[in-house]
Amino acid sequence: MDLHGMAPHSESGKLEQVVSQFLLKSLHIILDSRIPSLHPRDPTCDSRVRKSDKWFNLVLGDRPAALDNLNFWHRNLMDPMIIDIILVQQGTAISTSVGNLLSGSPGRTATETVIERWLVQFESPPRGTASQPSEGSAASYKKTYKKSIIFLRSLYLQTRLLPAYRIFKQLSSSSQPFNFDIIYKVSSFSEPFSRVEEEMMKEYRFVPIEALPGRLHVSVTYRPQLSEFNLQPLTTMPPKIISDYVGSPATDPLRYFPSSYKGDRAISFPSKVMHSPTSVPFQRPHSWTSGFHKPVVNHHLAGSPTVYRTSQMSYDSPSPPMERMQNHRRPLHQRAPFYDECQLSPPFSPSVSPSTPTYLRNSESPRQTRAISETAPVTIPSPISGRSSRYISPNFSDPSKLSLPPLSPRSTRLDNSSNESPSGMRLIKKPEASRADLGSAGQKVLKDNKDDSGRFSGLLSSSDSPRVGFSRSSSKLSFQDDIDDCDFSCPFDVDDVDPPDSRISQNVDWKRNLESTSMGRKSQDAAVGVLVHMLRTAPPLRQDSSCYSSRSLRAEVENDGVATTASGFFMPRRTSDALEELRSYREMKDLLLSKSGTRVLTREPP
Amino acid sequence: MNCEVCQLKELEVEHFEIREVLRCILHTIVFHRALGLVRPKVIDLELFDITYVQCGDGELEKKIDEKIEQFISWVEKHPNKKSQVCISFYEVKNKHPSWFTNKTERLYWEQWYINLNVSQQQKVHSGKSHPSKIVVDPGENSLEERSNRRAALESSLREVLFQIIKFVNEKKDHVPPISDGVVYFPYEITIPSSSDSAFGMDMIKRMLQTGHPTMLS
Repeated sequence: MDLHGMAPHSESGKLEQVVSQFLLKSLHIILDSRIPSLHPRDPTCDSRVRKSDKWFNLVLGDRPAALDNLNFWHRNLMDPMIIDIILVQQGTAISTSVGNLLSGSPGRTATETVIERWLVQFESPPRGTASQPSEGSAASYKKTYKKSIIFLRSLYLQTRLLPAYRIFKQLSSSSQPFNFDIIYKVSSFSEPFSRVEEEMMKEYRFVPIEALPGRLHVSVTYRPQLSEFNLQPLTTMPPKIISDYVGSPATDPLRYFPSSYKGDRAISFPSKVMHSPTSVPFQRPHSWTSGFHKPVVNHHLAGSPTVYRTSQMSYDSPSPPMERMQNHRRPLHQRAPFYDECQLSPPFSPSVSPSTPTYLRNSESPRQTRAISETAPVTIPSPISGRSSRYISPNFSDPSKLSLPPLSPRSTRLDNSSNESPSGMRLIKKPEASRADLGSAGQKVLKDNKDDSGRFSGLLSSSDSPRVGFSRSSSKLSFQDDIDDCDFSCPFDVDDVDPPDSRISQNVDWKRNLESTSMGRKSQDAAVGVLVHMLRTAPPLRQDSSCYSSRSLRAEVENDGVATTASGFFMPRRTSDALEELRSYREMKDLLLSKSGTRVLTREPP
Repeated sequence: MNCEVCQLKELEVEHFEIREVLRCILHTIVFHRALGLVRPKVIDLELFDITYVQCGDGELEKKIDEKIEQFISWVEKHPNKKSQVCISFYEVKNKHPSWFTNKTERLYWEQWYINLNVSQQQKVHSGKSHPSKIVVDPGENSLEERSNRRAALESSLREVLFQIIKFVNEKKDHVPPISDGVVYFPYEITIPSSSDSAFGMDMIKRMLQTGHPTMLS
């Protein structure tokens, strides 16, 4: 047995040293197993044996700083050393520093509960008792030392068997914050427990250690049950289901859209979303999760999809996969989508590139886009093109009428935005040819639609760039309209068929009043042109327009307006031609009759 | 020198729990009897919410594990029997060499008896039960019984550890002086031998070695 650093002079001095070191070692053992901040993270990495470790042959590692100051307050070895292990629970917020806890900062309700109280005391006999012989003293401190070694072994184990060790393990083993903390208080006096507290606590007293002339007493009063305290990991945000976290184009996944858009066009994104739910929606988790992870800091449910972004499912309302992923968020999909789409538009800002909101505004254009991305936009453009090519040319002499032909080329261009580029090209050619007949009016219209034409030219250059067809100088306005139409149903919904019909009827009325309307409605020209073509090709419209034709003939004479002239394109021509023919026949007949009449008169038999 | 004997509380363990229970108890006892320079190593049990302390000596750990494996093998051969594992601390004393005896004498100064009642599941299909395998009998009653039994065993094991702490603190005078450079006192772990009566023979043998007063007289 080797007592290091002991004063060689008096046995009592040696005993005093043993007692002093016993107190320090006891405090070290207790704090090492109760206060996570004092506990070394990786004690195994520290293999050196300190001088303090050699005391009582128990290697504990670095002593806490509090132990260094022990001698300052514990000047008398006879004073008890009381170690309070205090459980601090935060009602509102957790504090990471003891100072904040003890300061009682406003707004924080900290509950402190003493869960353990250790009492280590060296009891010496009252003065006046016979002093021990030196041999006995010499042997006594050695015996005391040996017994202290055994005791401190048992203390080391005892601290790990008590309930407080469990919560210490919780704090020290986990990196996440908890709603509680453990602090300690070392003093030579303490307030006694209340009766209620005493009833809730148990006491364990160690067998006193002979430290002649006195004895070392160690006892612990502890709470046998800590389950009454709601000790759990702290989450800055209570776990809740964020019903609209996935699918919002306005949130982080937006960043990843550009990458997914490389090589894709703006319009193609919604089309992909809408029509290829297997593509983009499946891509989204891969691209978004990292995006999800990045911005969200305050949620410990990292990795949980429920944590992340709001309204990210905006495009996913028609998309089953995303719905499967976030089916509890469906309700919010309905409202969000198009507003989010509008918000998404900056990457596809109307001024920069064709934007989704642009075509969203137009009931036709969604259909167009739908047709573009999904199926061949066959039905609408082809018949119109077929018809328009016939009827465009004759009536371009009238400037008001000329307004219509330009529509058709535009509409043909829009139609050209479909995947059927060859037909579109053909359509373009013919309107161009017809445009030549338009004269200045057509040129004017074309000039008015300069931006559009610019884009149309872009469209023409790349036949499969549907987005261009829908980007106009007035697209900004359309963007605003899109915002207004946020509640509009999905442009790719089947129900959108109805609105175009309604719009067609509206356009018919518009055509009738075209003279009163400003020709500067460039943004509607294309749509009107398309409607016109639809009107032309629709059998019922033809029948109806036959009624109009009679009126239009009169209106034509009266310069009634382009609408009437437009309607007069079809039937009036036929009837007019027929009438002309009839007149010509009549004239001929009259002529013939007149001629034949004389002859008849002459030819009459005698 | 008296030989202090400590009979620990009997534990009802299942076959797969033997290893952890014995490791916990044996290491705890040795830790309290390793009075040389020790760097304690804290171990958390897997089957129970209990933490115990080892000496951190790899050699010691290996020897204890070997003995535990031997005991498990014996238990497999003698199922459903109460058994004891004894760990004894002794001093080596050289006897005066004589013409008929030149052995070193072991003076046992402390013995610990770990009493185990190993119960094996009747549902075990094979004759031998694997320590790592648990045959779970489907049914709420068996699961509830198992969890109750596990909780009871954990409580009993904790009591055994407190019993050890109490014993080592109450009885200190018989502990021999600590030699320099020696970490722990020589020890011996005794498990029941193959024959049924061997355990009694082991006791007699030990008594002869310790030089029990009754035997010498």
